[in-house]
Amino acid sequence: MVQWVLLAKVLVLAIEGERSLSQLWPWLVSLLGLLGLRAGAGFAQECLAQRASQRLRRAVRHELLEHLFALGPVRAGRHHSAGLAHRLVEQVEALDAYTSRFWVQLRVVMVVPLVIFAIIAWHNWLAALLLAITAPLIPLFMALVGMGAESLNRDQFAAVTRLSGHFVDRVRGIATIRLFGADDRVTDEVAQVADDYRRRTLKPLRLAFLSSAVLEFFSSVAIAALAIYIGFGLLGDLPLEVADSLTLASGLTILLLAPEFFQPLRTLSQHYHDRASALAAAQALTELLDEPIDPSRVSPVSAPGATESPASSVLSGGQLVRLEGACLDHPGRGRVLGPLDFRVDAGEVVVISGPSGAGKSSLLAMLAGFVGPGEGSRQSAPGIAFAWMDQRPLLIQGSLADNLRLTAPNAGDDDLRTALEQAGLEPLVAALPEGLDTRIGENGLGLSGGQAQRLALARVFLSDAALVLLDEPTASLDRETEAVLIRGFRRLAGQGRALVIASHHPAILAMGDRRVELLDGRVTASGREQQEVAHGVVD
Amino acid sequence: MASSTERTDTGFAAGIASLRPWIEVHASFRRRLVLGVVLMVLTALSALGLLAVSGWFITASALTGAALAAGMAATLDVYTPGAGIRLFAVSRTVSRYIERLYNHDTILRLLARLRARCFSGLVAMDGASLGARRSGDWLNRLTADIDTLDALYLRLLAPAAMALVLGAALVALVAVWLPQAALVLGVLLLFGWSWLTLGQARLGLAACRRRVVGLERLRSAMIETLGGLSELESYGALARRRGELEALEDELLAAQWRLSLITGFGNVLTTLVMGGAWWLVLIGGLAAFGGGQLGAAVLVMLPLASLALAEGLASLPAAFTQAGASLAAAERLNAIDQGCAAPAQASDATRAVAVHAAPRSGTAECGGLEIQATSLSYRYPRALDQALSPLNFRLAPGERAAICGPSGSGKSTLLALLAGELRGHQGRLTLDGQAVEALDRQWLSSQVGCLTQRVELFDASLAENLRLGAPEASPERLWQALVAVDLADWAQGLPGGLETRVGEGGRQLSGGQARRLGLARLWLTDPALVVLDEPYASLDAATARRVAEGIVPWLAGRTVLMLVHHHDPDSPSPGMEHIPRVIEMAAGTPWQARGECVTM
Repeated sequence: MVQWVLLAKVLVLAIEGERSLSQLWPWLVSLLGLLGLRAGAGFAQECLAQRASQRLRRAVRHELLEHLFALGPVRAGRHHSAGLAHRLVEQVEALDAYTSRFWVQLRVVMVVPLVIFAIIAWHNWLAALLLAITAPLIPLFMALVGMGAESLNRDQFAAVTRLSGHFVDRVRGIATIRLFGADDRVTDEVAQVADDYRRRTLKPLRLAFLSSAVLEFFSSVAIAALAIYIGFGLLGDLPLEVADSLTLASGLTILLLAPEFFQPLRTLSQHYHDRASALAAAQALTELLDEPIDPSRVSPVSAPGATESPASSVLSGGQLVRLEGACLDHPGRGRVLGPLDFRVDAGEVVVISGPSGAGKSSLLAMLAGFVGPGEGSRQSAPGIAFAWMDQRPLLIQGSLADNLRLTAPNAGDDDLRTALEQAGLEPLVAALPEGLDTRIGENGLGLSGGQAQRLALARVFLSDAALVLLDEPTASLDRETEAVLIRGFRRLAGQGRALVIASHHPAILAMGDRRVELLDGRVTASGREQQEVAHGVVD
Repeated sequence: MASSTERTDTGFAAGIASLRPWIEVHASFRRRLVLGVVLMVLTALSALGLLAVSGWFITASALTGAALAAGMAATLDVYTPGAGIRLFAVSRTVSRYIERLYNHDTILRLLARLRARCFSGLVAMDGASLGARRSGDWLNRLTADIDTLDALYLRLLAPAAMALVLGAALVALVAVWLPQAALVLGVLLLFGWSWLTLGQARLGLAACRRRVVGLERLRSAMIETLGGLSELESYGALARRRGELEALEDELLAAQWRLSLITGFGNVLTTLVMGGAWWLVLIGGLAAFGGGQLGAAVLVMLPLASLALAEGLASLPAAFTQAGASLAAAERLNAIDQGCAAPAQASDATRAVAVHAAPRSGTAECGGLEIQATSLSYRYPRALDQALSPLNFRLAPGERAAICGPSGSGKSTLLALLAGELRGHQGRLTLDGQAVEALDRQWLSSQVGCLTQRVELFDASLAENLRLGAPEASPERLWQALVAVDLADWAQGLPGGLETRVGEGGRQLSGGQARRLGLARLWLTDPALVVLDEPYASLDAATARRVAEGIVPWLAGRTVLMLVHHHDPDSPSPGMEHIPRVIEMAAGTPWQARGECVTM
């Protein structure tokens, strides 16, 4: 800013003072110095803003993850995992532009124009008045336009989330789409969704650009008006006393400062959509954070056992988990479970059977504490560690060893080999040239379903869980793999661990100490019918 | 040192080359794009004109005013500059608004076209190349990558072109009065422009790639984590997993930090180049003014005109530092295009044969397709072992058989070969005497109906899922299908009925329900050959029996192949009573590194 005052001074000195170039050097050099100062200050500002923004994003992601963990597998599982990941990654990133640019610029806007206004007013009050008339209109217009842009932007975020979910979904099923020969139809559908996205993007832009056009218009008009006013004033054509006080010096200063008066606002308007995006993102994130956490759930991040449930003292020695009068309701599906009483003792094998949809998975989830009972109570033994296995084992990108150490970070290579052997995978791994370091991908690519299940079983062996919960662990597997898994389950039981298995495979029914039959979320039969069950199965 | 510089050089050059196909796509919109740049230049020139004419006018009027006051005769044409000022003020606003709207519209049209093109590229890939890619990548590809490409024109090419034209205009203007200063100015601006564009892009390339990779890693790690919450929570591994996620996040933030430093450096340079420009013009002007070759009004006008450079240069460093993101996106999109180029040609080559095969679709009513496999085997590219060991069998039209073998013996591979999803097998596989690789995929998909090992449902309503293979099916027909698979009672109990959404991958349904819905979806189509991979898995015996009763009438008149682990026609497991024949598969060599990479 000072440099423009100085520049005007230099010009005026040269024109009116008739100083030569050599006499002006000190002025010119100080102008250069100011230039350097300005550049340096800008750099420092950007660095500081970025630091602040990074800290904020870290904190937000931390909190969101914490909340999702607290929500638990069942509640968090109701969201599209790609959509959730989009929120945690991209939408948190959307906060960056707001913190590092818009927020800072908002502060600049409040100070710089005022200072410039004061300087211009000191030079010539009428010129300042001209600025004063146009300037307040600008934030007003922008706020009006911004409001519209914001609500549209919220729609757009919904569209983006939907689009990303839609796309991943169709890509996952691309083999099926090909099998049904629906290529063209689904491609059209994708194009339609993409076009919807385009229209949704263009709408807020039309308004967002209008706001910047308004700003541009007022700043241009103000500069033009000032130039014409000053010009005529200097000519002496204006019958106004104020105008007569204008000199070339004050006139040039005002003209040079006028664009600077508007510059912070223009920059702000460029970042205005950052604000809108950040607000929309923040709202989506807040919605997620507002989802209530099941109060009956124990904090999952602290390792199980670290927290002692106050009710745990009620459990007598051998009991691991107990449900009393427990019920579970799913929104839109009504009651899926209960009321029921259920108990697991140390070292016993309980098999839960029943037709599909009877609530077997829900019961297991409740035993694991993934959902709290809506009514009734769940009590677990203090310090109990448990293991979980279902039909979709967790596989991460990385080596086999990485996948095994996911749940047992301190396990040595020998431990891993022992676990693989117990899960019947060791011969296969031994045949691999890279052994434990062989890389595997998402969703078991590179591993067959049976192999992925055995990997999950190896994880169970690596853990010291006293209670193992298994949700249809042998579904879609061949008898050979099933036999390997069942041998593994027996070995687990032999180690003194309690097993709860949801399954209707005869071989698993045969190994249960106790069998519980579910129908429509209620226990229809229960008992230690070991002998009868075993006989019934030999067919 | 020298060699590392060289490496970045080739990396950068290769990066530029990877943009070529996308610049070519842009070329189809050439007229719109050029017009967009013209509008941008017009806006910038208006800003230049506004400041320059204003400065000139003020100085000229001051001098005239002073002369008049001194009693000298002086005149000044006030109308021309006044009109010029007003004109520039309006043209700046109007051209800016039109330019932004016009350019964004162009870009979004381009993007929508690219997006659909990419998906059709993906659909055209064969099963093997599809399976090798991960869905997390594809999400990134279709949404983020294509969006990132809009930076190519809007943030990179167009502003750089505009800055160049603006700089040239300024140099030309200065050259009218100060040829020598104009020369120096030209050199300064050309250097500044090259650095701010190419220099910044190169400087930011490595960090940009790290950022793109970091984002992708973080995203897929998040998806994995959220999908595996059950296991992580039960093993008490959440806290550690979060630590790993935060380490990934730190990598991302470090790359961003480096980028913001580079951008900051570019911004410093921009300030210096712009400041240097008007300072230079000022000195040149002062020298000329002192020598009497230059009038006072022009002395004021030229530095003021130089200030307008900000319009062109200010946005360059931030945009070009991020140019690496566009390069990375372009590279990944190129990979899709290369991936689907070959199969696309193959299907062209087979089209002629398809015409020949088409009339046979009429055989559906009279007994289905005949299958003949002779020494049929398959090995995935880069796999350790054969996914399918040599297999021989023949199925007469309308015959029903079970193919038995343990998991890993290649049943899913056989299904993919029959459906034409996998190409490049050894041995012979014919349908009605036609080699399967010569048959058109569209024809195959209408004649071969498959229930895959993993039933893939879409995050849509029950009805939409059912209509995948039969888009015209009436609601009554959909209900009939549900009755056939014993799901009608369940569906009637749903508050949303057929409009109930099944969730991501059918997550709202149990495994058995999803499987039966998959069967119902198949029931609605009319294939001549039905291949069912473990149709009764995860169904209890009673349900399996009811489902079998429901679909047996539909199987009449079609060739049926059941892929199961075990089948004994004398004591069939529930649902398998109507399958008289067994074809045993040799137990395949276990552990195919990519054995099941076709996710069926």
